Amino acid sequence: MKHRPPMKVRWLLAGALALLAAMPMPAAAQDSRTDTIAAAQAEKAQHLVPPHPSRAEQIVVRLTRGFLEVPSGFYPLIDSVYSGGGFTLGAGYRHYVGDRAIGFFQGLYSIKNYKLVEAGINSPGLAGGRLGYRVNFGWRDATQVGYYGLGMDTSYDDRANFRFDETFGDVEATFRPVPWSVFTGAVTYDGYDTKSGEGGHPSIEEEYTSATAPGLGADPNYIRLTATAGIDLRPTSGIDYRPSAGYARRGGYYGVKYQNWADLDDTYSFDQMDVDLIQHIPILKETWVLSLHGRLQSVLNDDDTVPYFLMPSVGSGSTLRGYSSRRFRDRSSVLMQAEWRWIPNRTGLDVALFYDAGQVASDPSDFATRDLETDVGIGVRFHGPAATPLRIELAKGSEGWNLVFAGTAAF
Amino acid sequence: MRLTRSSRSASTLLVFACAIAFVATAIGTLAGGTRKFFDDDPIPREPETQDASGATPYDINLIWDLSYNLFANPARNQPKIRAKNLNTIDEVADSSWFVNRILSQPLNVEDVGRGPVTGPGPAGRLTIIAPKSAGAAPGFLARDERGSLWFVSFDAKGQPEGATSVIMVANKLFWALGYWQVENHLIVIRPDELAIADTAKWKPPSGKRRRMHRSDLAEVLRRAHRRADGSYRAVAARGLPGKILEGFQYYGTRPDDPNDLVPHEHRRELRALKVFGAWTNLVDMKAGNTLDTVVQENGRGIVRHYLQDVGSTFGIGANGPRDYDEGWEHLYEGDPMWKRLVSAGFYLRPWQKADYPDYPAVGRFEAEQFDPREWKPRVPTAAFLMSRADDEFWAARRVMAFSDEMIRAAVRAGGFSDPAAEKYLGDVLLERRDKIGKAFLPAVNPLVDFALDDAGVLTFDNAAVRAGVAEAPRAGYQASWFAFDNATGQARPIGETGRSPALRFQAPAGLPGETGAYVKVQVSAIDPPDPSWTTPVEVYFRRQAGGWKLVGLERLPDAL
Repeated sequence: MKHRPPMKVRWLLAGALALLAAMPMPAAAQDSRTDTIAAAQAEKAQHLVPPHPSRAEQIVVRLTRGFLEVPSGFYPLIDSVYSGGGFTLGAGYRHYVGDRAIGFFQGLYSIKNYKLVEAGINSPGLAGGRLGYRVNFGWRDATQVGYYGLGMDTSYDDRANFRFDETFGDVEATFRPVPWSVFTGAVTYDGYDTKSGEGGHPSIEEEYTSATAPGLGADPNYIRLTATAGIDLRPTSGIDYRPSAGYARRGGYYGVKYQNWADLDDTYSFDQMDVDLIQHIPILKETWVLSLHGRLQSVLNDDDTVPYFLMPSVGSGSTLRGYSSRRFRDRSSVLMQAEWRWIPNRTGLDVALFYDAGQVASDPSDFATRDLETDVGIGVRFHGPAATPLRIELAKGSEGWNLVFAGTAAF
Repeated sequence: MRLTRSSRSASTLLVFACAIAFVATAIGTLAGGTRKFFDDDPIPREPETQDASGATPYDINLIWDLSYNLFANPARNQPKIRAKNLNTIDEVADSSWFVNRILSQPLNVEDVGRGPVTGPGPAGRLTIIAPKSAGAAPGFLARDERGSLWFVSFDAKGQPEGATSVIMVANKLFWALGYWQVENHLIVIRPDELAIADTAKWKPPSGKRRRMHRSDLAEVLRRAHRRADGSYRAVAARGLPGKILEGFQYYGTRPDDPNDLVPHEHRRELRALKVFGAWTNLVDMKAGNTLDTVVQENGRGIVRHYLQDVGSTFGIGANGPRDYDEGWEHLYEGDPMWKRLVSAGFYLRPWQKADYPDYPAVGRFEAEQFDPREWKPRVPTAAFLMSRADDEFWAARRVMAFSDEMIRAAVRAGGFSDPAAEKYLGDVLLERRDKIGKAFLPAVNPLVDFALDDAGVLTFDNAAVRAGVAEAPRAGYQASWFAFDNATGQARPIGETGRSPALRFQAPAGLPGETGAYVKVQVSAIDPPDPSWTTPVEVYFRRQAGGWKLVGLERLPDAL
């Protein structure tokens, strides 16, 4: 078998021949400039090889296909099972069904022994981009979720842990009649099985009762109906506005979400309304961006009993960032966030100083500014044009420092 | 490092080739027989003598191309040597890369306005044969009723006349500058007039190709800007002749093209894109915006190199207005990034002070803050990094050769419906042109157009003074004359002339008169506005039957 020299060596060889051609030549060698060049070309013609990617290029091509082009096959996964689960890794397998529907099966595991297994079909971009649907079902196990009691007058030292298994099935459809509007409807089955918590804190049943932790010991099964309506201003609308939900420097999102949680035993049924407002204000050619976020969550009917683990909450890597996950729980929550962002590199790096304020209360009328818990912090975000795959933030609240690693934008 | 058997044999070949080069040089030197000029110098056309029909398609991965140029570009650490594809009078010969047009040919306003157009646009109904597979702009490939192939691309949704006008205008300018360009026509399409060929294949996100349907066309058009009457404005680019090989890289050579001897980073016309890019804001210099094809010339396959997509110019792209910093910074630059990081964004650059009038079809393109020396594409190509002052001078002369009327004619081809937008784009190009001249013409000794007549009168011009971007040297010019032995490379002084403000010198007595004799003249400025003018331009003339012929010009040394 005839061996071909490696590409690098072949190019060096060709370069040396080209150099040879360009050198001042003895008078007898060639009679003209044209002949000199022609001789070098004839020499190169003896050693032609097809273009071939280098090893580094082959690796880049493989990575590009794996992460950007979403082909069928196995893929790695960095995501979250449930907030507070810690660093989480996983893997999945996907396969296209038809033109654009992707069937998937994936699993995640966290350092705190949180687990998620789910499978489903996701099909965006139907009907000229106006319609999309997602069907998925799965099982989640969160082993050491913190609970600190209801309201704002709780202490970090009050923490107890609980564990829950959730079996879920979900059908969701998204409709965009015009590009800047988004309507989502979903029907979900959620089956909860609560257990004694793991980790370094007492289990919830040792510290709380059903009076201080509503629904303690209950394992409700829900049919949940969700409806969302939003104004989602993105460049695809032709309006110079928010580039994407995953990373934005301009524009905004203004949405309302209604959820009906129907307990199959009709003991813990409730309705909840969320209002979400986001505005990004660019300053001096996006040198800085003032990003604002306001969110209100409230259970609608005072007579409904909401299990402690489903109550509105603040505290996590994307809400009150100086506090642990779901640090404050009650029947209503309000969150206000402001970020002063600057852009060291427009392609991939943002830095932000941020201030979060939030509180929970049994009723929105009980919100009072004096009860707000606040934090301040600084964060760096590594982003792409439409996503923030890594956000690292350090926040300080009244209970100390909190380091956040996340794979999404804060808001 | 371990070498395989094949690499060892290749290394042996390499050593052998180098040895030949060394021995050849040694023999030439020892014998005193090196010849600087051949009888056919300066060559007006780069010879392409070998058949390149066997060249094979090779698609350069976009991420690789960007990453390599940003982070691993070897040209960063290499000395800036003289371009290697020059003929002996420091000019780029015509080739499959470049055709001398403006400054070299008597182009007129109509020529520039017409550009590469050779015939009418698409005839009759278009039949789609494939969706567009590359680039961000929505579009497709189609055949007209004459059977001609057209690449059709649209304006992005919400950006009327943006992408299409950019393509049309830039296409004319780059054609006049000398690059191989596709033939573009501005057209209006109504969806109901389009047919889809039975053979047209659609590639959905799944990647499984299937027959293209009407709904797929709707998906293409959904991303395009729809006009009030339901029609779509588009650019139809005539299909290129020959076998498509995909893009070329701005470094190295094609290993399958026998005629491609000069590493691309050492081709002056590719280095010159630093200047032409600055003028037009050609920010996207990726391999994917170029195209190699094999065409037949003189019975041989020749690889022709197109700057196929010059739509990444001015202030708007296929998806909308440019980012504010495009043209000012590469996608990644450590220094400004760190300064902005630690200063909380208060490290401000000129682009943050630029003002852009509200012309949606023009986007973010301006001249006031523009500094040609500071201009940068998204990623630095090796050719961009290797560019030297003599390359930039060569390019700036071409930019300055565009008259106001030529630029206005090219801009008119953009088909702007808003006269104010058309005027603004023209104004900006004029102003940026003048800044180009001011930045690059005086940066080297700018003497050009040398001629030596039978009476021994040497005439020349000063390109920077002629363009009005520099003052004449206060004490004039001086010249040193030599009899030059082409066989040995030795120069014998004849005399000095000079300290004259005039752009002409009478040769000293003793100029050789026999046919085939050579004379070398070094001309420099005295007390010039820029110190670089004291470095002499060296010119060589050969005595021929018809008089003295300019056969050599060296503006800067080979290595800087």
